[in-house]
Amino acid sequence: MAEQADLIYLDYAASTPVDPWVAEAMTALMTADGNYANPSSTHAAGRQSVEHIAHAARQLATLLNTDPWQLIWTSGATESDNLAILGGAHYRQERGRHLVTMRTEHKAVTDAFTELERQGYSVTWLNPEPNGLLDIAKLEEALRDDTQLVSIMHINNETGVVQDIAQIGAICRDRDILFHVDAAQSAGKLPIDLSTLPVDLMSMTAHKVYGPKGIGALYVAERPGVHVDPLFFGGGQQRKLRPGTLPAQQIVGFGAAAAIAQSRMIHDLKHLNAMRERLWSGIRDIPGISTNGAIESAFPGILNVSIEDIEGESLLLALEPLCVATGSACNSKSQEPSYVLRALGTSDALAQSAIRFSFGRPTSASDIDIAIECYRNSVARLRSLAPGRVE
Amino acid sequence: MSTDPYGARVRALFADPAHAGQLANAAGVLVEDQGVRIAFSAQLAVGRVDTLRFQAWGCPHVIAAAEAFCADYEGRSATDLLEFSTSDLMQSLSVPVEKTGRILVIEDAVRSLARQILGPTPKEH
Repeated sequence: MAEQADLIYLDYAASTPVDPWVAEAMTALMTADGNYANPSSTHAAGRQSVEHIAHAARQLATLLNTDPWQLIWTSGATESDNLAILGGAHYRQERGRHLVTMRTEHKAVTDAFTELERQGYSVTWLNPEPNGLLDIAKLEEALRDDTQLVSIMHINNETGVVQDIAQIGAICRDRDILFHVDAAQSAGKLPIDLSTLPVDLMSMTAHKVYGPKGIGALYVAERPGVHVDPLFFGGGQQRKLRPGTLPAQQIVGFGAAAAIAQSRMIHDLKHLNAMRERLWSGIRDIPGISTNGAIESAFPGILNVSIEDIEGESLLLALEPLCVATGSACNSKSQEPSYVLRALGTSDALAQSAIRFSFGRPTSASDIDIAIECYRNSVARLRSLAPGRVE
Repeated sequence: MSTDPYGARVRALFADPAHAGQLANAAGVLVEDQGVRIAFSAQLAVGRVDTLRFQAWGCPHVIAAAEAFCADYEGRSATDLLEFSTSDLMQSLSVPVEKTGRILVIEDAVRSLARQILGPTPKEH
């Protein structure tokens, strides 16, 4: 196996390194010479801890242009998704038990909906168009008088396709349907203005934006009819919506990461765009290659490609020392082709050859050039190893 | 506990398959099953397998197993091919049990190659 120093990391959609400034801010709250007090304690140290958390909430709220008190800290996007979907559906169950989502959502969303189906809710699963986008007319057709919750992700974690959450949210708002957005891949990467977006619930996480793992947030809009029933009980923290001792150092890390993301967003987007363009330009002429999801409607931090007549697992090994993904990291131990790509209508063979490259702040042009050389050589080598087909 | 799905030997065989290729004017078979394609070609010299080559479309374990088979059987008596079984390969390459079907395609291909070289076995008459 390649040593850590030799690896070319192109899996930033799975996780990002903690920004040194974020790490410094966190460390200050962890050691004996810092403020490590429990924020639920009423003594002076506890109150200082509360101040740190409040500051972080303001930083995240500023990034999203919302009020800090509309944010609930969680352990990450998976918990936020579960709290929004299960909590939202339970809260509104007296009004109706029909829910709508897409087949291309992250497992944290699809599995929450599957659990609700098990509990007797009715779920409509929408398929995307071949380009990965949701057909708005199909969404409108799916909505019923008893529909209470729609959940559509902002940036797809596998393909990078960006859904029009403003338009979807407006449709839901007209019908008084809760609208949840899984923004795990977009919060801190694309501009999000929650003061104007018709979104009721939004999930996010720190570790996709150079913050620490183990901390996320759920935005719950302060408007009539918007609420979630808690999943956890014990302690009265966070208005009893998500009780438990607040991990001040994690929260401060998320806040710092949000502040940095806001200040660098335009620069980051330009950089990601240049990296994706460089990579795609370097491999697009390989016979049989295609993108998964329309590149023109995708976030520039992700490029997902498939290639004809190449076995995906061998390609992934041949690509070392590149750190890339075959599907979402949460799903990549499965040998099954990606359910997201299958929902786009991609054949099993092509889906099985899919590689997701994702770029980040540290990605350099030389990383991309190595990736191009590595991908081209690996495809050529595996094709030269392969026999023809049985007639 | 290692999380690497491939052992050092699989990595080495996959990275440098010295027996990859196809021999001209040689006995040859091509088998496709279980999402795997395997071709073997063999040149004989006085009852011995003088040269063996493979081509493979499959996962790293399949490619490594095909290479390991060629390396092991080159220079041996052609009748040894009849005795080939994938169980030793499965063990020495630590192939996950769920990939047994894929590795058995190699056994099918070797048996087919043996029949082509040696003629049908008595049972097949």
